[in-house]
Amino acid sequence: MKLYEREGKLTRELLLTPGGFGLGKVPNRDRPDATTTMTCGYCSTGCGLNVHLKKGAAVGLTPATEYPVNLGMACPKGWEALEVLKATDRATTPLLKNEHGKLVPVDWPTALKFFVARFRAIQAEYGDEAVAFLSTGQIVTEEMAFLGALAKFVMGMVHGDGNTRQCMATAVTAYKQSFGFDAPPYTYADFEESDVMVFVGSNLCVAHPILWERVLRNPHSPRIVVVDPRTTEMAMQATDHFAIRPKSDLVFFYGLARLLIECDWIDHDWVAAHTDGFEEFAAFVAQFTPAHVAAATGIAAERLWELARMIHAGRRVSFWWTMGVNQSYEGTRTAQSLINLALMTGNIGRPGTGANSITGQCNAMGSRLFSNTTSLLGGRDFEKPQDRADVAGILGIDERRIPDQNSWAYPEIISGILKGKIKGLWVIATNPAHSWINQSQLHEILDRLEFLVVQDMYHSTETAQRADLVLPAAGWGEKEGTFINSERRWGLTKKVARAPGLALADFSIFKLIAEAWGVGEMFREWDSPESVFQILKRLSKGRPCDITGIRDYQMLDDRGGIQWPFPAGGTAAVDSSSAARTGTHRRLFETGEFYHADGRAKFLFENPRPMPEPPSPAFPLLLLTGRGTAAQWHTQTRTRKSAVLRKLSPQNVYVEINPADARELGIGQNEPVIVQSQRGSLTARAYVTPVVAAGQVFIPMHYETVNQLTDAVFDPYSRQPSYKACAVCVRRAGTPA
Amino acid sequence: MTIVAEPALTILPADGGASRSLTLVDLLLLEQQDLTAVERFAQQHEADVLPLQARYYSTLLPAAPPGPDEQYAFEVDLDACSGCKACVVACNSLNGLDETETWRDVGLLSGGNDQQPFLQHVTAACHHCLDPACLNVCPVRAYEKDDLTGIVRHLDDQCIGCQYCILACPYDVPKYNSARGIVRKCDMCSNRLAVKEAPACVQSCPNAAIRITTISRQAVAEDCETGSFLPTAPDPRYTQPTTHYKTNRVFPRNALPADYLSVHPEHAHWPLIAMLVLTQLSVGAFVVAFVAQLFDPQRGLHAIHSIHAGAALLFGMIALGSSTLHLGRPHLAFRAVLGLRSSWLSREIVAFGAFAALATLYSGSIWTSAAVEIAHSWRMLLGGGVVVSGLAGALCSIMIYQCTRRPLWNGPATTSRFLLTTALLGISTAIATTVAATALTPDDSHEAGAPFVEWLFTGLLAACGLKLASEAALFRHLWTKQHTPLKRSALLLTGDLAYAAKWRFALGLVGGIVLPALWLARGRQAVATDAISLTIAALQFGLLLGGELLERYLFFTSVVAPRMPGGLRS
Repeated sequence: MKLYEREGKLTRELLLTPGGFGLGKVPNRDRPDATTTMTCGYCSTGCGLNVHLKKGAAVGLTPATEYPVNLGMACPKGWEALEVLKATDRATTPLLKNEHGKLVPVDWPTALKFFVARFRAIQAEYGDEAVAFLSTGQIVTEEMAFLGALAKFVMGMVHGDGNTRQCMATAVTAYKQSFGFDAPPYTYADFEESDVMVFVGSNLCVAHPILWERVLRNPHSPRIVVVDPRTTEMAMQATDHFAIRPKSDLVFFYGLARLLIECDWIDHDWVAAHTDGFEEFAAFVAQFTPAHVAAATGIAAERLWELARMIHAGRRVSFWWTMGVNQSYEGTRTAQSLINLALMTGNIGRPGTGANSITGQCNAMGSRLFSNTTSLLGGRDFEKPQDRADVAGILGIDERRIPDQNSWAYPEIISGILKGKIKGLWVIATNPAHSWINQSQLHEILDRLEFLVVQDMYHSTETAQRADLVLPAAGWGEKEGTFINSERRWGLTKKVARAPGLALADFSIFKLIAEAWGVGEMFREWDSPESVFQILKRLSKGRPCDITGIRDYQMLDDRGGIQWPFPAGGTAAVDSSSAARTGTHRRLFETGEFYHADGRAKFLFENPRPMPEPPSPAFPLLLLTGRGTAAQWHTQTRTRKSAVLRKLSPQNVYVEINPADARELGIGQNEPVIVQSQRGSLTARAYVTPVVAAGQVFIPMHYETVNQLTDAVFDPYSRQPSYKACAVCVRRAGTPA
Repeated sequence: MTIVAEPALTILPADGGASRSLTLVDLLLLEQQDLTAVERFAQQHEADVLPLQARYYSTLLPAAPPGPDEQYAFEVDLDACSGCKACVVACNSLNGLDETETWRDVGLLSGGNDQQPFLQHVTAACHHCLDPACLNVCPVRAYEKDDLTGIVRHLDDQCIGCQYCILACPYDVPKYNSARGIVRKCDMCSNRLAVKEAPACVQSCPNAAIRITTISRQAVAEDCETGSFLPTAPDPRYTQPTTHYKTNRVFPRNALPADYLSVHPEHAHWPLIAMLVLTQLSVGAFVVAFVAQLFDPQRGLHAIHSIHAGAALLFGMIALGSSTLHLGRPHLAFRAVLGLRSSWLSREIVAFGAFAALATLYSGSIWTSAAVEIAHSWRMLLGGGVVVSGLAGALCSIMIYQCTRRPLWNGPATTSRFLLTTALLGISTAIATTVAATALTPDDSHEAGAPFVEWLFTGLLAACGLKLASEAALFRHLWTKQHTPLKRSALLLTGDLAYAAKWRFALGLVGGIVLPALWLARGRQAVATDAISLTIAALQFGLLLGGELLERYLFFTSVVAPRMPGGLRS
């Protein structure tokens, strides 16, 4: 009760203390007794986070100073990665739907009995194929492989796909077709080495803030070209912004190719030595005159010329794309239109070049290579007997256990449920009831299932709420394993927090299911994530993604992650000066050798197609969707659990609308409006801003209702949903339709 | 869902012999709780003492400590800020703040046109002002501005949780921490800076957009004089913020904060509402009694005074009691004496303290006048003391709000509000007590009281009419074209707060206009003690008290607090 108290108990609560371990000051109560670096579990950037430990348990984290990806920085999601593990809606026990339709806690043996009994009963009645799974880009590679092997080689499932279909499928298909293997060629150092960077449908500042950090470290005063209909944060930071009309990308890049060809700004020697189909491509793009391009894209001929000159003048030109390209009904060809530009100008295989897909989830790449969904383990083909034989040999299983047909992609699995061909579904670490396109229809479809199992960290997801059985999973930080990031870097995640209640690592859950299914013996070698990692090494041998040179987890840990390929005996593997940062960055195609049988890359192209649902008199505006803020991740299952992250973004759905449209519709700033498409409607607050062009509106994808509006159209090659273009109308709330 | 017969299922322990009693589920659950990172992986940097991050931030810190006329300041490179908000989260995390506590915020400016749309994120924490309003108003000297570094530091242990700094800071910087009952704020990580370590926000910005610089206080003062700080931010002349926002971009003239047109009611502060209204009632009641005594030397109204003084004192005490509910740490309220030289809140507390003491003595002298004879002049002197201290307290209340420079709380408006409430409720109380006292006393005093009550009702009618009119005058701002703070307040009163506003005016009109008019229309007679009169007397008091409480509720909730540009609200 002193009259004047400068320092006391309350001051001490915020006392900082040197953290040791090279950390600088940390809160006194969280002073660590050890630290360890692990890969972040949100996006595919794959940052290294330095977790502060006290008696083995995480008490805090800071971005890892020396990790070659993020160089001491992290975005808000990474900083808050541990907080979301403590949420009160964590699934802490298996939940089974009782006769009243309510999910009630059960123990693991009961849950496993039901899992096996129900799926077996469905398979007995409708055939093995009637059970399918939907997986994720969020679990570790070892778990993906376990799931894929268990489901397809043992449980008899044929169809299984990942939510990576929603983000990466287009890039996968584009690379496979063009290069002969799903192989993003770049390394993050390329951000720092380019002198011209073309970003298409990519808002790094919001979606991949740490990659934007890398761009800013570029010492060459690069031209930063952003091609995006919206004036995003990225467009604001760009030196040149081309606000093309939505879905006019193909015309734009074909037109650009035409100008480069017309001026003969082509690396003919390289094209002749390493590619196929250039002549046909050149003939094809002749039709895309600047006038044609201007009419379709809204970009004046002079500006297109400017871009062509810029690309020609650049010594190291790189092309980058994200969801603006991937989530399109013609995404594969659009991605390839960028690949074509890189190929024809010889901008590939050298520092600061490439046609580079920036992916979505922390383990999208792991899913692409080892989830055993639409490609056989190790980026192989289910339909190739040799590939099946190889895998059977490596795993020591009967070759006949391996399906000889490709899995349905995600949309086909969904329509398979609709058609009554899929009766049981196992959903792992994803939330389709929020994220899948044309949501109301999806909800009806899910309701047709006879048995829906959801395996997730949280029992509260929109999908888990619809499940017959919920299996509680441990999350990132509560288990071990590896992720592969966008630049093909294998990174390690570790066990630094205790999972709540009866939650188990997905790995352990798969193990239990294998036992319960009666095939535990088959998976004896799949004892721990690291033993599966050794299996993955064998599966990668001789493949483009060969990692046989990585000894073990400890080596991954020591080197700050390792990019594939890393074959045993390869130059990278024997290089002992791994500490040198330069040594930790490698890119592909330095010799111009591609993965097609003839070693050549292919020019692939196709006539642009009209938008499936263009604006009409009844639905005069075009709805774009995308990332809202750096503090929100996908369906917000995790990010919504952090109080700080919640403060950093609007909590309720809003719609960006151009001032001219708003005026015409009599909509004022911040007023509630109804946005309606042919499929559904939602109420949102209007955010009147010219960053979205007239005739377009934008709604972030993090709000559940947005996919009630979207139209279920897909790229024909990648089967990726076209989230970013459907026709809507907007009116003030309270006014009649 | 159909439930099929249980399949035969045995889950054997994985290791057979060693743990025969444990199932695989048990083993896996045990293994799940076993944290392995430390034992499995070699430790890096075990021996490192110095912060490794220094390699990134060393260039973001000043090379030398500030010289004379200099201090530290944040410098924000707006062109480099891409709005990731890592600074907000890192500040929370590295400083060990509570889960929801943020000392830094990132707002958004947008504007431009279709040809050149504009988008600018703005990160802001404490501006460590040259003339910090938080420090100036603090009643307990819980803020200090470091002579050398210029950092405005909050002394958590000295704080009593009055939150006056929150009302005073134009940048919404001090944050109330209800769990601890105190305010906390950014101190530029002064403990880090002291050892040449960068503040959390500086360390964590991937784009190196925030740095610490030394600035010339003179130069900042000059910049502030010309109003150059950040477009759309509150006027820097008030507190002279030191943060330097730099950009090479030209801001479009129509650049506005994303939350500019969204109006949200502010915190109501119920204890303060009760405290203000009831102190004013009490002061007003004593003033009325004092004036009445001046004109009633024969003490014809003595019986009335006794009840009246009791009522006035009771409400005054409730008011002071409720004011302590506002404090996060009321047991330390005595510290407020420290701020007498600078803080109107200290002065208010002292003035009302004196008022309470004098009012108790004065009331006591009235109640005990039959037993203890004191000279009328002494009592009048005491009464004068009550009036003076009470009015001084009310004046301090006015200054407290006027000092915040919020337009709705400007001097004339707040003065008229608070003084008219004082008059209104003072008279209203007098009416209620007079009528009540009359009803309880013999008939001969009824005649004496009649003109007094009539006079009171006339005064009430005038005061209430004036007050309602001046409050309603705010609605004229609905027609201003600019989105001024007063227009926002008016919009709130007709929007989110419309329900409360309707009741406020209804209660005022009935209690202060209709009922007085009704009374006066009945003519000059003895103070009637019939049911109608008693009802009118009681009703007008109840309605007016309710009306004034609502008025004060709207005073707090409809005010527009100045702040840095905010983000999109939805």
